[in-house]
Amino acid sequence: MERSFAKEIESLELGAGETFHGEGILAVTKALLESGVSYVGGYQGAPVSHLLDVMVQARPLMERLGVHVEPCTNEASAAALLGASIMYPVRGAVTWKSIVGTNVAADALSNLASPGVTGGALIVVGEDYGEGASVIQERTHGFAMKSALWLMDPRPDLACIAHCTRKAFELSEASNTPVMMELRIRACHLVGSFTAQDNRAPRVSMREILEKPAPHLYDHLAHPPATFAQEKRKYSERMPAARRFIREQGLNELHEGRESDIGIIVQGGVHNALIRALMELGLADAAGVSEIPILTLNVVYPLVPEEIAAFAEGKRALLVVEEGQPEYIEHEIGSILRRAGIDVALSGKDVLPMAGEYRAEVLVEGVAGFLARHKPALGNRVPARAYADEIAMLKEEARRHLQAPLPPRPPTFCTGCPERPVFAALKLATREIGEVHYSADIGCHAFATFAPFHFGNSILGYGMSLASNAAVASFQAKPPLAVMGDGGFWHNGLLSGVTSRLKNGGDGVLLIMKNGYTSATGTQELISSPDRREKARAGAASATAEDHTIEDALKGVGVQWLRTVHTYRVDEMRKTLIEAFRAPFKGLKVIVAEGECQLERQRRVRPLRARALAAGERVVRTRYGVDEDTCTGDHSCIRLSGCPTLTVKTASDPLKTDPVAHVTNGCLGCGLCGENAHAATLCPSFWQADIVTNPSPFERLRAAMRRFFTLGAVA
Amino acid sequence: MSAAEDTPLRLLICAMGGEGGGVLMNWIVAAARAQGFTVQATSVPGVAQRTGSTSYYIEIAPPESRAVMSLVPMAGRVDVVVASELSEAGRAMEAGFVSPRLTTLIASTNRVLTTAEKAALGEGRFDSARLTEAAQAMARTAHLHDLAAIAEREGTFISATLFGALAASGALPLSREACEAVLGDGRAAEANRRGFAAGWSAVAGEDKAGETARASEPSAPVVAEPPAGTADWPEPLREVAALGHARLVEYQDAAYAALYLERVGRLAAAAAGGDHRHLNAVTEAARRLALWMAYEDIPRVAQLKTRPERFARIREEARMGRGDILHVTEYLRPRAEELADMLPAALGRRIMARVERGRGLPFLGRGVRLRSSGVLGFWLLRSLAAMRRLRRRSLRFARETSAIEEWLDAMHATLPAAPGLAEALAALPRLRKGYSDTLERGCRAYERIFTEVVRPALAYADPEAHAARLRGAIAAALADEEHRALDAFLAGECEARAAPPKLRAETVHVQ
Repeated sequence: MERSFAKEIESLELGAGETFHGEGILAVTKALLESGVSYVGGYQGAPVSHLLDVMVQARPLMERLGVHVEPCTNEASAAALLGASIMYPVRGAVTWKSIVGTNVAADALSNLASPGVTGGALIVVGEDYGEGASVIQERTHGFAMKSALWLMDPRPDLACIAHCTRKAFELSEASNTPVMMELRIRACHLVGSFTAQDNRAPRVSMREILEKPAPHLYDHLAHPPATFAQEKRKYSERMPAARRFIREQGLNELHEGRESDIGIIVQGGVHNALIRALMELGLADAAGVSEIPILTLNVVYPLVPEEIAAFAEGKRALLVVEEGQPEYIEHEIGSILRRAGIDVALSGKDVLPMAGEYRAEVLVEGVAGFLARHKPALGNRVPARAYADEIAMLKEEARRHLQAPLPPRPPTFCTGCPERPVFAALKLATREIGEVHYSADIGCHAFATFAPFHFGNSILGYGMSLASNAAVASFQAKPPLAVMGDGGFWHNGLLSGVTSRLKNGGDGVLLIMKNGYTSATGTQELISSPDRREKARAGAASATAEDHTIEDALKGVGVQWLRTVHTYRVDEMRKTLIEAFRAPFKGLKVIVAEGECQLERQRRVRPLRARALAAGERVVRTRYGVDEDTCTGDHSCIRLSGCPTLTVKTASDPLKTDPVAHVTNGCLGCGLCGENAHAATLCPSFWQADIVTNPSPFERLRAAMRRFFTLGAVA
Repeated sequence: MSAAEDTPLRLLICAMGGEGGGVLMNWIVAAARAQGFTVQATSVPGVAQRTGSTSYYIEIAPPESRAVMSLVPMAGRVDVVVASELSEAGRAMEAGFVSPRLTTLIASTNRVLTTAEKAALGEGRFDSARLTEAAQAMARTAHLHDLAAIAEREGTFISATLFGALAASGALPLSREACEAVLGDGRAAEANRRGFAAGWSAVAGEDKAGETARASEPSAPVVAEPPAGTADWPEPLREVAALGHARLVEYQDAAYAALYLERVGRLAAAAAGGDHRHLNAVTEAARRLALWMAYEDIPRVAQLKTRPERFARIREEARMGRGDILHVTEYLRPRAEELADMLPAALGRRIMARVERGRGLPFLGRGVRLRSSGVLGFWLLRSLAAMRRLRRRSLRFARETSAIEEWLDAMHATLPAAPGLAEALAALPRLRKGYSDTLERGCRAYERIFTEVVRPALAYADPEAHAARLRGAIAAALADEEHRALDAFLAGECEARAAPPKLRAETVHVQ
């Protein structure tokens, strides 16, 4: 795992009354332990990867309490894990990234929601919406509504998030329904404080074993005819129970205000941004005391009609602040008001944008628009345009000074990433065989869609690249290429892609990046991750060469054309790619591109090297460089690499006007520069330096002789 | 309702993923918390952790404050912006986060170039001067120092120097001691303290020296001795000619360098009595001619690779420790083409004929790793370097000479009457760079532009009218590797668009 939470995990042991300081994701974990959870699990993905990392790294503590930890192979298996709470009085929590993870989990979620649960079941979803999001922009809300799962959206404050986490289990049990809690990116990474409670060991757990399995109760199976009754029960019993609980516990927060004839209803997650917008308009102070009454929904589904009606009573107009589309909450509030016969003007997406993140900037305009329409007296008083004008001027000023837009800086492969060479090889291969249809996937390899590679015709989901070009293969002269990581392969690719293609006898080339981990999410382990023994054997070399789980699985399902190539052999990779595309064999051709994730490799190698150096042992360090005398500044090496440490600098030769290539001290000596220079017949400017520290006496003697015989040039 | 006095201090850190922005955020949070402040912070690392632009946002309120903390920075409402790199500071300005009314900007002036900038076929770097000017104009107070270089000098990370600079700026409600207290102990902490102190003094000592801001600029190059006969040439031309002359003496011999001076002299005569455009054209031509005449063939590469100062430079770049031993390996892939180039013309042509028939030569065309620091490798390269004595009779020499003479003729034809066209034409050889495929592509672009733009221009009654077209064609040739922009340009489409705005005009400047 990329990040260590060793220090933070200590704070999971805090007792009642002590103050917890830390990250949102850790606060959730702490609240889970305070809630007496019996099992936790999930599938990694930003922004909740760290939640899973914390759970895994806190295993000793978890085991002491009796909590089972299950890092799942995908979100479907995580959702199915919650099946334990259907028949048993055990609390469980799982986590994944939404919307994509919720899509994958959808089948199990429906089947979980239908019978409902006995023990509290909580799903913490990372709502990857707005700035920094890495997936398609959709809301989890729709899933909650269609399956009748309750959805919490806590105000982004650690005390509120921890409180909602604890209450989620009670809500779940009070209404026999699984509860989802959505945390936006910034809420997950929020660093703050809250007052802790004591951890609770679960009543039923891996330490408190049940002797007997649950009885066979057909009513609790998601199977007809039980499902018909379950559907009715969702709305006749479970939803009313949930609404009762939400009201009694005061989960939603009412903030009174002087302007009592209008009001704002806001999702908890957007509350803080709304307060900032009101501050900008002079309608609230820093402590959040607002002139306009606000109803903050920490539970966004179901709504409590009585609560909405009571808030609307006596008001002329309501503004619903609901991020993303469509406006589910606004629609529901409309129905509630209409049914209750409350005559109040309803505003929302008419003054706020339908799509996109609701930052304070957006909300300033929306609230001003609402006031202008429904309370002009106040609307005329607030500086509605001033802020927008000020910002427009600031941006214009910056544009004037900078004269041109800044070049974008998208994420890219790490220094020494074993995937970069594959794309260099592919770029070289396409020079020979022409362009091919390229189905991209989710994972680090998706960085090849950016400069300098610019690959990819489609992205259809995690592990879906091969499946997404099944039809393309039928009408293309050349077989299409699908690229997928080992993470995607195990998540979905083996079944959705490989076995489907084999079953249908379709043509195609599949390139699997075998780097050993789900690296883009922070190097979590896979079934094919090299184990401790394999890592020890590999030493400084790539440990993924040792593991053959992927190759065995491919052979097992019947792949006939299979090659494994180490990614740093650029020329061999180039030739293998060309061979695959030109192969007379019509069927699935799989190239496993083997090369261990550099982040993980460095975690192993660095301490080994430091120990050796400290002990005065012989250590060889490799780095690359460019002779600026022979570099002509054409930068074709960079267009084949994009390595962060391969950059350009002003030539010290005053005759040269173009900047020359240059390797910075961050170079890990991965070898790509040399491989590319050979494979692409680039230029003779690259050098490899092997620096021997603590050389043997014999080596020193040889060095002295070299110095002598090269007339001192090679000093 | 008055909000201003209770508003928390709002601090935005603009950084690149994996650079330690999170470390800096945590230090600030810990220091503020230790002093009893109410503090909240957040970030959007996500996928941006992999070297992409990313940001961290902190709000600090007085002790026991009940302030509702925002998770998102608001344009125009950020008190402090800390940027770990100059263009990231620019990005913050683009987004409206730096306000002259409010914002203290602490930015490191180092550039970590984006892939788009690096991958350009020529100069693609964003002008740093524009960024610093913008920073000085947009921020209420700007502290601009190369904090990356300072961190490297102190053997630590930029997070430490940024923290020191931020603390010294006075923008935090925290004392120096309060900040240093969170750096912890241990070996890393020691380096962090050094970095913090260096960052602090960079900002604290601003009015006196400001020398840190210039630390990364290259030192002035040594100007070569002006050769005889150039004394009455205008200043920039004389300097370039001196450099070119010295280069060609080293490249070949005195006679070759004299040929260079003679060629430049004839160009200077053709431009005599002209204005600054004539001078620009001749100076640029002199620069390009020197580089062209010193084209990189096998003997040249071997010569450059065996110079003692080259090994010294590698030792320095590789940061050798005392007693370390260095081995240097060269990645060479000489093809039959390069061998043919260095051999006498007749023999070279026979080899090329063989290559064109699809047959290569044994041992050529495959990658060679040559240990140039070994006795054998060193002397092999030295022997190849000695082959430069055959250069004047070689195939490549004949080819380059005829192209040079053709270009010089065109320069002579344009210089007196069409200085604008001459300026553009002087820059044309810039396309002939690189090795193997890259060089072939560059030469192809050169030939096409020469045939399709330069020759028609010369035949035209008013050649000067073609200057813009020639400049556009050169820019188009440098726009992409596959010459799509050049194809489009020469086909007459999107003439206006083919010249990417990023490319700087080729002006003469001798450092």
